[in-house]
Amino acid sequence: METPEKNPSEKSPANGRTADENAHSLGQRIDRVSGSAQEAWGQTRDAFSDLSDAIDIKGRVRRQPYGTLAAALGIGYVLGGGIFTPLTSRIVRLALRIGVRAAFLPLLKDQVAGLADALADGDGDGAGRAAGKGHKASKRT
Amino acid sequence: MEMTDQIEATAREIGERVRPQLEDAKRRLSSANDKVIEYIKENPGTCLLGAVALGFIVGKIARRA
Repeated sequence: METPEKNPSEKSPANGRTADENAHSLGQRIDRVSGSAQEAWGQTRDAFSDLSDAIDIKGRVRRQPYGTLAAALGIGYVLGGGIFTPLTSRIVRLALRIGVRAAFLPLLKDQVAGLADALADGDGDGAGRAAGKGHKASKRT
Repeated sequence: MEMTDQIEATAREIGERVRPQLEDAKRRLSSANDKVIEYIKENPGTCLLGAVALGFIVGKIARRA
C-alpha cells in the first residue's frame, strides 16, 4: 500500500497559498501574539511590584503576619458584600461587648478598691460595711 | 481531714500526670505557630490572596444567609 506524499509546494485550493506560506504566516502570528502577551505580562508585573513597593506588603507581613492576614480577610469580606448583614452586626456587637468589658473592668476595679480603702481608713461601722460591699463588688468583677 | 488530704493527693497526682502532656501540647502549638508564620513570611502574596478569597466567600455566604 502506497501512501500519497503531500508536496509542501502544492497550492491549497482554499486560499491559493502553499502549505509552507501558511505555516510561515501562522508562525509569525503566534510570535506576535506571544510577544504582546509577554509585554502585557511584564507591564502587569511592573504595576504590581510598584503597588507592592508603595504599600510595603512584604514588610507589613514580616512585621505582623496575622494582622495582615486578618486585614486581607476583612477586605475580602467587605468585597463579598458581607458588611451589612446580620453576621456583621452580631460580630460587631460581640466585639463591642468584649471591648467595653476589657476597658471598664480594670477601671471599675480600681475605683471600688479605692473606695474600699478610703472607707476602711475612715472610722465607724458603716465604713466597714461599705468596704465589705466594695470588696464583694470587686470580687464579683 | 483525711478526705481532704486524699483529694489533694489525687489532684497533685493528676496534675503531675497531665503536666508533661500539657508541656508537649504547648511545644507543638508553638512549633506549629512558628511554621505558619514562616510560611506566611515566605509566601505573602499567596497567603494574602487566599485570605481575601476566603473573606470574599464568607461575605457571600453571610449575604445569602
